[in-house]
Amino acid sequence: MLFAVASLAVAVSMLFALIRALAGPSVFDRILAVNMFGTKTVLLIAIAGFFMGRPEFLDIALAYALINFIGTIAVMKFFRYRTLGLPRGGEDLGDL
Amino acid sequence: MGELSPLGLLRDGLAWVLVLGGSGFMLVGGLGVLRMPDFYTRQHAAGITDTSAAALILFALLLFAPDFLVAAKLVLILMFLLLTSPTASHALAQAAVASGVVPLADDWRTGENREAGRESAKDAGAGSGPASGERQ
Amino acid sequence: MHDHIILRVITKLLMPFIFLFALYVQFHGDYGPGGGFQAGVIFATGLILYALIFGLRSAKKVTPPRVLRVQLALGVLLYAGVGVVGIMSGAEYLNYDVLAEDAHSGQHLGILLVELGVGLTVSAAMTLIFFLFAGQEQ
Repeated sequence: MLFAVASLAVAVSMLFALIRALAGPSVFDRILAVNMFGTKTVLLIAIAGFFMGRPEFLDIALAYALINFIGTIAVMKFFRYRTLGLPRGGEDLGDL
Repeated sequence: MGELSPLGLLRDGLAWVLVLGGSGFMLVGGLGVLRMPDFYTRQHAAGITDTSAAALILFALLLFAPDFLVAAKLVLILMFLLLTSPTASHALAQAAVASGVVPLADDWRTGENREAGRESAKDAGAGSGPASGERQ
Repeated sequence: MHDHIILRVITKLLMPFIFLFALYVQFHGDYGPGGGFQAGVIFATGLILYALIFGLRSAKKVTPPRVLRVQLALGVLLYAGVGVVGIMSGAEYLNYDVLAEDAHSGQHLGILLVELGVGLTVSAAMTLIFFLFAGQEQ
């Protein structure tokens, strides 16, 4: 019951984030919504692990949190500088 | 969850308080992301769900951790979320400012509307927009 | 750039935990979810984060592509080598039972070595793929 309430709230919030990601309007709104969706996914995986009595799901949640952060940083860097590695203008010090 | 020991009841009550608080923050934040008028206010709403709601729900899960390893992983996830979400928000807001997303709110120093000020600056032909001006 | 100080500090703070988590997934793979492939990807993720924040040039100083190519081959060699040791000891290719005195610890050792080989190869391959993608000029 407890976990059901929590996962329902997370799922509704994910739905809102998904609508925002589809609606836009700017690219930053979409990145924001996708980042939020990823954080909710981490919570949902953790809750589902406790719900099913398999706490080893937390490993997956941890990996997901990691990938979510790095994905957000990478997408943001790409949209701001149009490249992932070299800084704009080709100087020696790097980036972001 | 059903046992009637005082400690179990205390744990259940505390978990319900935390989960209801977290779910409330979660729904309010989700609604805010959907309904707020511009990017920066939406980011505020998303920040609520990323920190407050996530922390409360993870604390509720922590009360049900069966052994030490699970509790340590939950604390690690919590630490990770609390470090990375504000960092991502900060970087995202900075990228938005640098690429010229204008806040809807009035400027707190002058009290004038930023959108209007930007339009008049563009009309006057001020060369560098916010996108190119920030990094030099 | 030096203006993103928050991202730099947080990256420095997070990277040891990312590598620790990768090693946990690598060596805990026989009891929980995980294994060589996942651990390799998570390890490469740490390096990719470093390359994103501190630039490709400094990332290539930390892990030169030369070393990564050697590591790439070394992982496959370790995997295949465990198999060949099985043949040498008079059993089939990749038969773990003959690696130690009794079959149980032999299987334990064999899986550990094979997963280590997979992890080495995958982390090197992921990092190299990112270097190639990020290094291309527009």
